[in-house]
Amino acid sequence: MKRVFVFDESKCCACSACMIGCMDQNDMDPAAGDPCFRQTFDEELDVEGGQVYCAYLSAACMHCGDAPCIAACPVGCLKKDPETGFTIYDNTNCIGCKSCALACPFGAPKYRPSDGKMVKCDGCNTRVKNGLQPACVRACSFGALTCMTEEEYQAAGSGKACSALLSRYAPKKMI
Amino acid sequence: MSKMAVIGFGAAGYHGAKAIRQLSPEAEIHVYSNEDPALYNPMLTTYYVKGAIPYEAMFPYGSAEEAAERLNLRYHGNCAVTGLRPETRTLRLAGGREESFDRILIATGASAIMPPIPGLELPGVVKMRTARDALELKALLDSGTVHSGVVIGASWVGIKVVEDLVERGAACTLADGADRMFSTAVFPDTAQRIQRDLEAKGVAVRCNQMLSHVERQGDGRLAAVMKSGERFSADMVAVCIGVGMNVGFLRDSGLALGRGVQVDRRMRTSCEGIYAAGDCCEAPDLQSGFNRNIGIWANAVRQGAVAGTNMAGGAAEFDGNFLVNLGHYLDYDFVSIGDSSSCTQADRHCRWETGRYFIQACRDSQRIKCINLIGGAGCGGVIKNAFLKALASPGAALSTQTVCLLRQEGFPDGFIKFLGGDCLDGA
Amino acid sequence: MTEHEERLKAKIPGEDTGIEIRHSLCAICSPSHHCGLDCYVKDGKIIRVEGTPEHPYNHGRICTKGSSQRSYIYREDRIKTPLRRVGARGEGKFEPISWEEAYQIIAERLGRIREAYSPNAVAFYSGYSKWYRPLYQRFAHVFGSVNFGTDDSVCAVSMKMGNKVTMGGGAAPDMAHANTFLGWNYDGYYSHHLSVEGVRKLKERGGRVIIIDIRCTPAAKNLADIFLQINPGTDGALALGMARLILKNGWADMDYIEKYTYGFEQYRELVEQYPLDKVSKITGLKPEDIYEAAKLYATNGPACTNFSASALVHRINGFNANRAILCLMAVTGNYDRVGGNYPVPASYLRQPAGFHTRDEEFRSEKYPGTAERIGAQRFPLWNAQFDEFQAMDLLRQLEEGTPYPVKAMFALGFNAKMFPESSRLLKVMAEKLDFIVDVDLFMNMSANYADIVLPACSSVERSELKCYRGGYLVYTQPAIAPLYESKSDVDILCELARVMDLEDDLLKGGYEACVEWMIDGCGLTLAELKTSSLPVKVPTAQWPVKPGKYLKEGFKTPTGKFEFYSTAVAAIDPKYGLDPLPSYVDSLADQDDEETRMAYPFYFCTGARKPYAIHSRLHDTPWIRTLQPEPTCELSKQDAVHMDLKDGDTVTISSPYGSIKMKVKTTSKIKPGVVMALPGYTKANVNELLGRDHLDPYSGFPGYKGMRCNITKCQEEKA
Repeated sequence: MKRVFVFDESKCCACSACMIGCMDQNDMDPAAGDPCFRQTFDEELDVEGGQVYCAYLSAACMHCGDAPCIAACPVGCLKKDPETGFTIYDNTNCIGCKSCALACPFGAPKYRPSDGKMVKCDGCNTRVKNGLQPACVRACSFGALTCMTEEEYQAAGSGKACSALLSRYAPKKMI
Repeated sequence: MSKMAVIGFGAAGYHGAKAIRQLSPEAEIHVYSNEDPALYNPMLTTYYVKGAIPYEAMFPYGSAEEAAERLNLRYHGNCAVTGLRPETRTLRLAGGREESFDRILIATGASAIMPPIPGLELPGVVKMRTARDALELKALLDSGTVHSGVVIGASWVGIKVVEDLVERGAACTLADGADRMFSTAVFPDTAQRIQRDLEAKGVAVRCNQMLSHVERQGDGRLAAVMKSGERFSADMVAVCIGVGMNVGFLRDSGLALGRGVQVDRRMRTSCEGIYAAGDCCEAPDLQSGFNRNIGIWANAVRQGAVAGTNMAGGAAEFDGNFLVNLGHYLDYDFVSIGDSSSCTQADRHCRWETGRYFIQACRDSQRIKCINLIGGAGCGGVIKNAFLKALASPGAALSTQTVCLLRQEGFPDGFIKFLGGDCLDGA
Repeated sequence: MTEHEERLKAKIPGEDTGIEIRHSLCAICSPSHHCGLDCYVKDGKIIRVEGTPEHPYNHGRICTKGSSQRSYIYREDRIKTPLRRVGARGEGKFEPISWEEAYQIIAERLGRIREAYSPNAVAFYSGYSKWYRPLYQRFAHVFGSVNFGTDDSVCAVSMKMGNKVTMGGGAAPDMAHANTFLGWNYDGYYSHHLSVEGVRKLKERGGRVIIIDIRCTPAAKNLADIFLQINPGTDGALALGMARLILKNGWADMDYIEKYTYGFEQYRELVEQYPLDKVSKITGLKPEDIYEAAKLYATNGPACTNFSASALVHRINGFNANRAILCLMAVTGNYDRVGGNYPVPASYLRQPAGFHTRDEEFRSEKYPGTAERIGAQRFPLWNAQFDEFQAMDLLRQLEEGTPYPVKAMFALGFNAKMFPESSRLLKVMAEKLDFIVDVDLFMNMSANYADIVLPACSSVERSELKCYRGGYLVYTQPAIAPLYESKSDVDILCELARVMDLEDDLLKGGYEACVEWMIDGCGLTLAELKTSSLPVKVPTAQWPVKPGKYLKEGFKTPTGKFEFYSTAVAAIDPKYGLDPLPSYVDSLADQDDEETRMAYPFYFCTGARKPYAIHSRLHDTPWIRTLQPEPTCELSKQDAVHMDLKDGDTVTISSPYGSIKMKVKTTSKIKPGVVMALPGYTKANVNELLGRDHLDPYSGFPGYKGMRCNITKCQEEKA
């Protein structure tokens, strides 16, 4: 069953537990410059009327349905897992050319200086296939970050940002 | 049961065949290639040379034979197509045999240009496009005889050959006929910055230098002799002055041609039932409205898939044609998005320099026209997306997430506003 | 990769991968929490942690700090063996010694000081954590010293004292039945993450939320119907002003006041001095916002209140600010009532779980009582209400040697950075103390001053007894063996008790003997507890605790009533000037002279929670460090513009006591004139800016969250 990450901004505080969960699962060494696959944002944005909007966000690979990074990789590192729908990869032959990053509208693929290869979130594909939650979702105490099947997502019928859809092209201006 | 032909077996040909196969399990698909080996990715050749990947990795879909078997294709290797009669969709094959099809995909790609000047046949003069070129250059470098090299052409390939030389400790000179590096992609200031940064890595860069010919010197080394009279001596000369589209066999076919085969967004040529994709075609450009070729791997993949889908009766459109370039070499990267030649005096020209980034960009009130970005390729996609958004919908805003990401990655507020971040796209 | 390799890489527990999940608990933060932890263990190493889904307290959820467990316990600065100092104090030069040798040296040196001076000349001190304290306090007492003191001198005890003298005990919010939640200093997202769900549920069933804070937090954004961004340090004035509105508008529960309270008339006179316009001026809030909040709180009851453990009481006016807010509960009849707040008695380690253990008896039954504790004369209310020395008087007593000299410190988790004028304290300790022992996980600035340093192990490397709300008790098993030569704190204490031959069979009998004694009578034996790696229900437990008990039986105060006017405070010698009413004074009252105001115009507030920090504990943990790599202070965007500061600039923060350098982060979430920063950074320790006498006279608590400072742009060479 295909999975989607669902993010509910109204429950997020950018506590970054998701990031730490990701680092723990993926044995990251920040001292070596390893980038975390997930990023949190605690930013203040000026919006119209002189107001400030406090944004608390968590973002990683959106596992787009028609993932542009897959076609962009010249070595063919990336592919879809037919079971989970996650965009997975084997970077053995990665040349670190950043073509995937140039294809991704979300900045999900990151360059890892220690081996000169690109890395990104694989949705904790193996964990999910073994009945576990992705590490970041598991670490989120507030229900801001969840991972569900497409069926569950559609049944929930909410307008929450669904990761699987690249649907944020149409502009709407915030008041 | 329909009978299909795919001419050329690179990214476009492969993805064309694959898309046809996905929609038409029964179709008879013939693939013709005059390259041996076929189905390599030209972008990977220099990576093989520097040892970043093994030989097989230049073939992301496996060998042509393996791919043909996987997709159930009739693969005709070493079989050049020499002509086309569009009205009957008949191909003339090497040896004079003819074969007709229901649909044809032209995906013959492009070849390195070797101008008709003396000396290019000398041992030690190389070009770089095919898997065979890569084998030759690697063998030459592995032989240990190359202590210096001259690269003619500050092109996307040329710079990668420079990297191969530098990483092996060879002294390197890069010469280009234009007044600056990457002249078609970047603004003069950016080019200057790129040149300075490359020189800091020990590479001699010489612009305004047109190659006259190559000759062997008395000491056994080669000399690239310039029209200016200057000579650059080295153990090796790489000629990387660009590519030409492989459309010569179509000259008399009646198919609409420019520099390459003219296609629409569905990758249809001017003749019914005939499609083209990849480096041999010119598709509508989003920014200029004219047709042009933007020879990057992802475009070939996508165009091939669009063509194949339409050939098999599906409906697909290619909407991603706009100038975008990514230079990545010697722990350095830069991205150019959009057409710098489209910018005018009346536009807003901006420049930002931070410790991390050098950015030069241009826009009018509605759309972003061109962005040059040094050091920020990791966010290239995010910025490219902002460019596209504004192209599709003038005055478009950025999403909250995009603004947050760009800020966290250290992009200047002014640049974020330039991209559309002065208002938010409330999703 | 083969499937097996993939499972290994993904750390999937199973026989094929050799990865096993072991239950433990996270002890990084306050003992009010200590969430259940699933440790993924392979070959004796922890390779991943998660919250334990079956755990009755956290139900699988852990916070940012807990998630960093692995990065924390495997830190490179873990102390590996017992160490003996070979350089000067503070120099950081040590040599490894054996445990036996370390114990011998400690026994001999402490014994000698006991002989030469008195047992009270040895101060037994504990920083974090708190789990071993029953044994440790008893240890100090059995050694013969009255001087057992802890970080409780600056933690939550001021609040607890306020609760005790006002109404005889704590005040847990009854979130499940409230219609309004008054989140005073509440940000569950940054501290007590498990509480957020309760607030959300209240909102989902139509309840209303008021958040009062000095910064705009995620709770203010995500939860608040009314958010009052108050001037720092003025909470007491706001509470008095709200009380006046409630009384004036007839929203008070006069029946409750009449039946259950003491000193109402004096209190009414006090609140009369806080009319709306005055309160608005003090607090920086709009009158109409104060009015709306007071009205909602008083008329949309039952209303429960969040009392943050430390945020309020870390000011020199903190004790009474907390009391003033407590009084709102009585004015509106929300104390010990369903949907309000109600007392929940402690079970073990001063945490509530609905049953009784002999924890307090174990701690106090051997109290020698041979002298007054450190700080007793200076902080009489503290001394009367709490049975530890007040560590904020330690520096003075060391320097002055009065009423008697202190010659040694034996410490578990000593952290000088917690103390005002930290460097001064360390210097005086180095000069005045004959002997210093410190037990810790990590080698740090304070441990560098010790003569003997002993390596402790973390919670996942030991067994410990822990109780949880809901009537639960657990005796954990180590998920992994102690790293290097480290030991559990309680084993260190019990082994030392044997080497020193202290007169106490329980301590000499070891941790398990002590635990058996303490839980005797609760209905479970240690052997029974050991059969489960998860908390088990205690047969004698009564949970949930039902509100109303004290309304019926009388409060545990001297008058048996809810005391607006505290008779316990009134009992203190008037020369100390303590007010039995919750009167308001300025939180910078002792720094209010013209000269100081001009030189240090900013309000410095330290220690407001961030989700990735608690005290100094996680600053050097690699994963956590990525979230804030440099000591950073926050400054309002308006101030930043005036001072030409931008994010990432270096600033000097100074006070009459010292100066530090930090990076600056500009924000719209705090008011102009305020500077906020995290404590605990060795290279930028905010408490160097805090004067040793900037203390709340009621509790002795320092004004961490309210002191004067100046901030200037640092002209540094460009890197």
